[in-house]
Amino acid sequence: MSRINLIRRQSNLTKKSYYHSTSISLKPKISVAIVGSGPSACYTAKYLSSTLKQQSKKGLLTGTNIDDLERVDIDIMEKLPIPFGLVRMGVAPDHPEVKNVENDFAQLFAPSDSEKEENIESSIEFFGNVGVGTDVSVEELRSLYDVVVLAYGCESDRKLGIPGEDLEGVYSAREFVSWYNGHPDYVHMGEKFQKVLHDPRNSSVVVVGQGNVALDCARILAKGRDGLNDTDIAKHALEVIGDGVKTTTVLGRRGHVQGAFTIKELRELTKLGDTDFIVEMSELEAGNTEATQAELDGKGARPKIRIDKLLRDAAEKSGSASSKKEKQVKLRFLLNPTEFLAKNSDHTRLGQVRCERTKLEGEPGHQRAVGTGGFEDITADMALVSIGYKGVPLPGMDESNFDFKRGVVKNTHGKVHGVENTFVSGWLKRGPSGIIGTNIVDAKDTVSSIIKDLQNVPEDEIEGRYGLQTLLAKKKVQYVDWDGFLKIDKEEKSKTRLRTDSQPREKFTNIDDMLKCL
Amino acid sequence: MQAGANRQISNHTVDAEVGKNLLDIAHDNNLELEGACGGELACATCHLVFEQDIYDSLPEKEPEEDDMLDLAMELTDTSRLGCQICVTKDMDGMTVRIPDDGY
Repeated sequence: MSRINLIRRQSNLTKKSYYHSTSISLKPKISVAIVGSGPSACYTAKYLSSTLKQQSKKGLLTGTNIDDLERVDIDIMEKLPIPFGLVRMGVAPDHPEVKNVENDFAQLFAPSDSEKEENIESSIEFFGNVGVGTDVSVEELRSLYDVVVLAYGCESDRKLGIPGEDLEGVYSAREFVSWYNGHPDYVHMGEKFQKVLHDPRNSSVVVVGQGNVALDCARILAKGRDGLNDTDIAKHALEVIGDGVKTTTVLGRRGHVQGAFTIKELRELTKLGDTDFIVEMSELEAGNTEATQAELDGKGARPKIRIDKLLRDAAEKSGSASSKKEKQVKLRFLLNPTEFLAKNSDHTRLGQVRCERTKLEGEPGHQRAVGTGGFEDITADMALVSIGYKGVPLPGMDESNFDFKRGVVKNTHGKVHGVENTFVSGWLKRGPSGIIGTNIVDAKDTVSSIIKDLQNVPEDEIEGRYGLQTLLAKKKVQYVDWDGFLKIDKEEKSKTRLRTDSQPREKFTNIDDMLKCL
Repeated sequence: MQAGANRQISNHTVDAEVGKNLLDIAHDNNLELEGACGGELACATCHLVFEQDIYDSLPEKEPEEDDMLDLAMELTDTSRLGCQICVTKDMDGMTVRIPDDGY
């Protein structure tokens, strides 16, 4: 045994100043509805529950009336019968270790016995197959619950807005990712992908954008069946991708130091067995402006410095490449797509992506891509636009507090502007950026706003969970609870469904098939 | 929100089994330290800050650990991921900090 000290400074959540001299009693029971079941929803539930328990136990809130609180019910609404949002439908199938966070989230719904001795009882329940905005409205939730948290993420994507974007062969990366991850709403895309990629080994794909989603798409396209057989990629995707696509070009307007990707995903591209990773040294140099050098020098530049080095090493290697592998992933910079051009043989289908060469201008941290007047046409049977996801309001939601430009709900530290007892967390709050862990800090911020506001919750009795169950029964909505999800989960992992012994699951891609497991 | 001044410091002294990693030690003792990927080098949520002399004595990092540390908030020169650091006898008495505004 070694005796070690672990220290941490408490976050603002527990600052007494939030709670001083209030004389409003808290209700003994608070009911919270969270819309969405991805990382931001789960972390919000986790920290709301744990913070309330902890604070009551430690008596940190003495002098206030939070001691009155006896019970918190948190109900998580999900449109699909299965939970976890982008952990299941966004994270790439060859990143199973990232999906391990599902084990952590699962514990929320199945609390262990030891936790029952807390001063505050907390229960988190899953309501799958419940569309907020379709089956129940946000207003109905607001009348049934003390607090409503919007955490349904970004359901739309940014468009390039250039000619030819409606050609057959031009799709959004979100459609492609949702499809290979087996999202029921995107199964129909398979027919389209199949048509443009009918001969993958002789096909070229352009991915526009330089975030991790773009790199995921390129890696999945390059890997093909051999590299993905043991993952939970949907069977229908393997059938289309086959042995992998010959050439995938990932391109973006700015330079390599301005890219949104992170180094783990770049490093993976350098390690694809049967695929060359090609980076042009001339493009790295062209982006190496004085301002870029300053960006590589500033505080917090470490990640950029390491990316710069990794890509320079890759460029040197691809410059001297003696071996030419069957497939290639090219990472290109300073190219701004201006038009999608049709094939000569078929004017309805994509044939090339026309790009204007750009150069960087502006101050460090604010460099823009400016056109140079030089153009390059890149052959493409398919183009995936991966320039960012975008939040949209739910049907029937009050649009006055939605920032359509940023695709987020207007809020201050997660408290929605102009609506009482309504909060937001995750991408819908801050925009589509960051990794799963980013949602921890984000959720803590929203939770602190919720707790600060708990004293404003009206004392009237509300119906909470029971009211929702009654409403869903009245509307004949068959919701899936946690036990129901576990049945679907078990069936997906059943040996008879799997391609190989190491495949973690074969997902259901149809809602009716999921509901049949119940 | 104001940072800094009013924050409380919580200090936990725990008996740690030699050979176990610090993420597991934290969880065994109900300390709030996230381990989103379960210790598989796929996140940076178990980021810890070490004293210089202990840090110097730790086994070298793999590039993959550095790749994840690049995503950690409030990275320091003596940061490591808790899941990669196993307790040794030499660590007796050491102080490890869970970063301020991090996970």
